[in-house]
Amino acid sequence: MSSRETTANGRPARTSVVIPVKDGERYLEELLDALARERPHEILVIDSGSHDRSREIARSAGVELLEIDPSDFGHGRTRNLGAERTSGELICFLTQDATPCSGWLQAYREAFTLDERVGAAYGPHLARPDTSPMIARELEEFFATFSPDGAPHVQRRGDATFLSNVNACYARACWQEIRFRDLPYSEDQAFGADLLSAGWSKVYHPGAAVLHAHDFGALAFMRRYFDEYRGLRASIGHVEPIGVRSAGDVRRLVGADVRWMSEQGYGAGERARWTGRSLVHHGGRKLFSALGSRSDALPATARRLLSAEGSDYKPVSAPGSAEQPDGRLLNVPSTHYPARTKAHEYQPIARILAGGAAPLSQAIPGMSERERLHLAFVIPPFSKGSGGHNIVFQLVHRFERAGHTCSIWIDDPFRQRRHEWPAFVRGSIREHFAPVHAPVHPDYANWYGADVVIATGWQTVYPVLGLANTRARAYLVNDHEPEFYPTSLESRWAAQTYRMGLYGVCGSPWLLKLYRETYGGEGECFDYGVDHRIYQPQAVERHPATVVYYCRSTTPRRAVALGVMALHELHKRRPDVRIVTFGERYPMDMPFPYEHVGVASAEQLSWLFSQGTVGLCLSMTNYSLIPQEMLACGMPCVDLQGASAESVFGADGPVELSPFEAVALAEHMERLLADLDLWERRSQAGIAFVAGRSWDRAAEQVEGALRNALRVRETRSAPLVR
Amino acid sequence: MSSTVDDQGTTQALREEVAHLQERVRELERELVEVQAHANDAVAEWEERAYWLDRWHIDLNALMRYSGASRVRALLRAIRAPLRLARKAIRAMRA
Repeated sequence: MSSRETTANGRPARTSVVIPVKDGERYLEELLDALARERPHEILVIDSGSHDRSREIARSAGVELLEIDPSDFGHGRTRNLGAERTSGELICFLTQDATPCSGWLQAYREAFTLDERVGAAYGPHLARPDTSPMIARELEEFFATFSPDGAPHVQRRGDATFLSNVNACYARACWQEIRFRDLPYSEDQAFGADLLSAGWSKVYHPGAAVLHAHDFGALAFMRRYFDEYRGLRASIGHVEPIGVRSAGDVRRLVGADVRWMSEQGYGAGERARWTGRSLVHHGGRKLFSALGSRSDALPATARRLLSAEGSDYKPVSAPGSAEQPDGRLLNVPSTHYPARTKAHEYQPIARILAGGAAPLSQAIPGMSERERLHLAFVIPPFSKGSGGHNIVFQLVHRFERAGHTCSIWIDDPFRQRRHEWPAFVRGSIREHFAPVHAPVHPDYANWYGADVVIATGWQTVYPVLGLANTRARAYLVNDHEPEFYPTSLESRWAAQTYRMGLYGVCGSPWLLKLYRETYGGEGECFDYGVDHRIYQPQAVERHPATVVYYCRSTTPRRAVALGVMALHELHKRRPDVRIVTFGERYPMDMPFPYEHVGVASAEQLSWLFSQGTVGLCLSMTNYSLIPQEMLACGMPCVDLQGASAESVFGADGPVELSPFEAVALAEHMERLLADLDLWERRSQAGIAFVAGRSWDRAAEQVEGALRNALRVRETRSAPLVR
Repeated sequence: MSSTVDDQGTTQALREEVAHLQERVRELERELVEVQAHANDAVAEWEERAYWLDRWHIDLNALMRYSGASRVRALLRAIRAPLRLARKAIRAMRA
């Protein structure tokens, strides 16, 4: 025996058992008989106003009986009282309908020897023979999760906080430190969470089993769930989700009950009867659980009617009365929240910043010259019309045609698109972007390495750094993303990605300059392509005065308010000008009449650009694909003066560049509409400019950059074979 | 004089060993490329076929794990057998 199982003089640790009782005659005699066989040192029954034979049974069993007024009862309060009135080093709590099985106490004694800091232990609840199949199955499956191998398990901070006073045992030292909160329900759950937060551990011991019953009618069950979830809301802040998917949850639970009954050998008639009950049980439970955990929003009368205890308790902490785990009261309003194990939003970033990048694979001489490469693209989730993703998929398509093997990995750490399964995502890429062959992987579970892994947005850089079995890492930089955010963690972390040693493949000379000079990165740039099969002047008459505006209001860098002001000014000067907007699903309020196209397909846009007179596409950071696509259809456009657009189109090239000012933008549009020679010059220059820009050329440039990323590795790594 | 000959012989042997190892690395590289390409193709092909299942969120394995599913299958098989017999009989009669 270890020191926790025994006292200093070698005798077993002193154990006390506390049983709160009210009208518990049905199982109390059986319970006390079973306890007598387990031989604890002390048994205390606390009766809170029974009207049946409970007190008589306790007295005749010879156990200590403490009678309290029903109004003094509280699940936490009364158990604290029981612990204070007993003296055992281990304090066990049982409910009046929980009968210990043979070996129960010995199992608890053993549980406290498994770790130095065991503060509490609990055991399984076994179904009585007359328990409904719904409850019996759930008990069996629920407790099996704590011990899949059937052995006792120590649970520490970060593990499940579950603890149940139906059948639990506490080290007195732990109880004295934490004590039960005075909650109307779920004081045990709160204790479980507080205990782990305070650095204690707890043990689930399968040998400390009790027979336990909850024989209630369907409605009584539901009302008990209302109370239980109201308690959970108060103790650990849980709010039970409910929605359309809840119907699926109920269906699954009923299905599980039916399967369980089949396995247990229930007859067909019995199965049919219990299936109906199961449906009512699970459906009602879902509803009442959801109501209970939201009962703070219900009127007091409804709370009372829905509660099995008839209590209208509202689960919020009263100001100034929040009790802390150490039992002290604060003088200011506060609520205690236990530690949560749910992954926080930026865990992948934290992991890389703390642990560093995964090592790259050994460089192989000649790997940069190999004909076929395996290129893995890590992309954020996307929607139809995303320009950045279009660039990636156009490149992937060309790389595949050149014989390379490509794979696509979706980085969705918050599981925002978990409803989009991989084959569907792949189909969407093929339908809306390019006919890629590459498989789509929803996460990194099946990561199998690559010659080059390519990050395609700042968030993807961190997971890319965590991927092993790769020979080089590259970064397709399509924008200066720190500028997408105000001063924030995101802007810092986005900027940091440019300093993490990935080989930059930048979408403009302006971006490359930033990557090299501001951040000290190494890389090269490429020219965005145009799909000339789609974007070309269509056989349609061009309207003499139509402005086509890329109005993507959900993207702040598109300066939509400035564009609207400019168009308003233009409308005042030239009311005859027709204004057409595209790029956003829904139209927005504008101080002039306009037509809205929405998110159009590439083919539709080529017709629109072939009919429009002047395009307006503003970008406050890197230039985008749209001005090139407008130019390819013979429509000159207006963009903002600045390093990015000028670095690509030149100061007096195909694009009319305007200062960052609404009136100036209106003047440039007006000039292009009125000056036919200027329009013709810009239009011709645009067609000539984009003639040399294709996705094939872009893919060649990017392939060259990726091979250079491998070359850098080859030259800087210790050679595999000298 | 004889030691120089030995050194040259050793150097030559080492060069041959290096060339042999480099060739072996290239061969393994080629194999790796083939294996990755085949694995990629297999997954891509499966995704091509599973498009509508994924679009409608149908997991056939999960569906067939339901106890009722095997009964439905058995029922369909039971219906199929007499239908085939009947079809066969009709064909025989027509012939």
